[in-house]
Amino acid sequence: MSNTLRPYLACVRSTLTAALTLESFPSQVAERHNVAEIEAQSTPEVLLTPLLISRNSSEQVLIEPSINSVRLSIRIKQADDIERILAHKFTRFLMMRAEAFVVLRRVPVKGYDISFLVTNRNVEEMMKHKLVDFVIEFMEAVDKEISEAKLSLNARARIVAESFLSSFA
Amino acid sequence: MLALEPANRIINDLLTEKFIKPSSLDQAFVDFDSVRYHLSTPTKKTQLLLSMDIPCWGELVQYGALEVIQREYGQFVTETEQDYAVSLLIDTETVPEAGEARTALITSFSLLKRNALAAPFERAFARQKELEAKGPPGENEVVEKEQLMGVHYRPEEAIYLLPSPDRVTIIFSTIFKEETDRIFGRVFLQEFVDARRRPSCQTAPQVLYSNREPPLEIRHLQGLADGENVGYVTFVLFPRHFSSAETAFSTITQIQLFRDYLHYHIKCSKAYMHSRMRQRVAQFLKVLNRAKPEPAGEKERKTASGRSFVRS
Amino acid sequence: MADSSFRRLDVDQYDEDRVLPSDLYIPDSRPPATVLSDTQGKATAVRGLLQRGDVRGALGEVLVDAPYGEGVDDAKAIALQSILSILNSTKSTDIPAIVSDLNPQEQVTLMKYLYKAMENLGETSGNVVLGWHEKLVESAGTGCIVRVMTDRKRV
Repeated sequence: MSNTLRPYLACVRSTLTAALTLESFPSQVAERHNVAEIEAQSTPEVLLTPLLISRNSSEQVLIEPSINSVRLSIRIKQADDIERILAHKFTRFLMMRAEAFVVLRRVPVKGYDISFLVTNRNVEEMMKHKLVDFVIEFMEAVDKEISEAKLSLNARARIVAESFLSSFA
Repeated sequence: MLALEPANRIINDLLTEKFIKPSSLDQAFVDFDSVRYHLSTPTKKTQLLLSMDIPCWGELVQYGALEVIQREYGQFVTETEQDYAVSLLIDTETVPEAGEARTALITSFSLLKRNALAAPFERAFARQKELEAKGPPGENEVVEKEQLMGVHYRPEEAIYLLPSPDRVTIIFSTIFKEETDRIFGRVFLQEFVDARRRPSCQTAPQVLYSNREPPLEIRHLQGLADGENVGYVTFVLFPRHFSSAETAFSTITQIQLFRDYLHYHIKCSKAYMHSRMRQRVAQFLKVLNRAKPEPAGEKERKTASGRSFVRS
Repeated sequence: MADSSFRRLDVDQYDEDRVLPSDLYIPDSRPPATVLSDTQGKATAVRGLLQRGDVRGALGEVLVDAPYGEGVDDAKAIALQSILSILNSTKSTDIPAIVSDLNPQEQVTLMKYLYKAMENLGETSGNVVLGWHEKLVESAGTGCIVRVMTDRKRV
């Protein structure tokens, strides 16, 4: 892991750990409802201060805590067209499988590439520190995946071009 | 499989089979660039009729496709079947004995599309030789503008050929239907442009690539597709690429397949990305499932005597 | 058909007991003008302290009575600038000693400013702020972040 990435991930880790102190909270607006307050946005007193962690303007994480849910949105580094399209494809692919991922949001928060929504129930069912590990590992792996995919695309292009052109006398 | 085959595999296999054991048959199949084939036995088992339709046949005829077909398939050319561009009649009783001669004949049939498309290329190469032999034009001689040959082999996509005294320029216009294809295509084409620096490609034709902007040679043409997704690829062929009959043959075969080759590999890359993503998703799920605690099921208990029991 | 637009009316807004965001914290007792002049005074003091190399003193100066609430955006911007100049002029080896010397209240306020600094990075790199954040969490713990999230007195 590079030296500049470590404090960034450490910061996400500590902030997320702090934010994942959730409890069940029945809605104050609708009787017998229990919804993720951060999504409902209907009760201002249970929404906490949203925190933005940024490494630079293209790599940011927004953590929006509330009493019974946390929303975490990631902006993935996209240096050029290829990385942009790869990041887009990859996040879309993941979000189509949101069902399996439980904590993944189907649509990212505006301005971000991918969002997670953790509710009090998720935290009750899963171990909190492992959940944080998952998010951190996800962030690491996405960057790695995109740069590897880009490298493999370039390598393939080179081999393809060379084999086509070298067949000319 | 890195390269595509110029020959049509279906023709190859069918003919090989039918030459050994004739039977009645009626099959329609396709090749790249909306080329359709029809192989049938209209009269009797031993009379195989092979027809091909190619969308740009009209243009190809202008550039001498009929002569090329006549030269390649002479005795086999027959009355053209309706809805098709060219038909060949093969009598299985008169084909040579199994062996090299027969294999060569089958290969030549399966190269039908390649041969039809070769006509404009052969004409361009011949014209270049003429121009070269004529030498540079005199001071007062009016240089006639060389005729540009356009082959619209796909809807919205075309090949343009321009012979000149020292080279033949071949321009492909191609369309990337999707944003992803466009960006992948740019990566690939950039590598084609850069590949010439490598020692193994020193003799390859020069490749130029431009996005959106048509090259100077065809800029005067009307009705060129415009838009972010249009790309132009220029190959500059020098006389050494078609100096002998064999090199000319392989150059034509190669260059015809360029567009299909490029798009084929773009698709392959996308498929590869997809399989990578699948793998990655499986891995993420594993990490996420680690967060779920082990189900605290009832543990098996043992009595002092060693028998196991479950507490109710 | 009867007009149904009344169904879309947010009746809760007429509720007398409704909680407004401004009801959730005690507003600053100082008038905005005083806050601004106070902050400006502090910014000057911070500059002086920094020139003498007294980072701890400068932080103590700016972390007490930080501007919060509404209507004091100018003062907030000046305070953030002061903090940033302190953050950027500190050697990374000195950070642990400084943050562990702060009292809990100051630590929370510093944490608030660190998050605010990350929100306003612009084109600069967040390495410095992230470094401070890491050291502050080491000495103040996760609870410090929880207090930042729950405190409505946003800087």
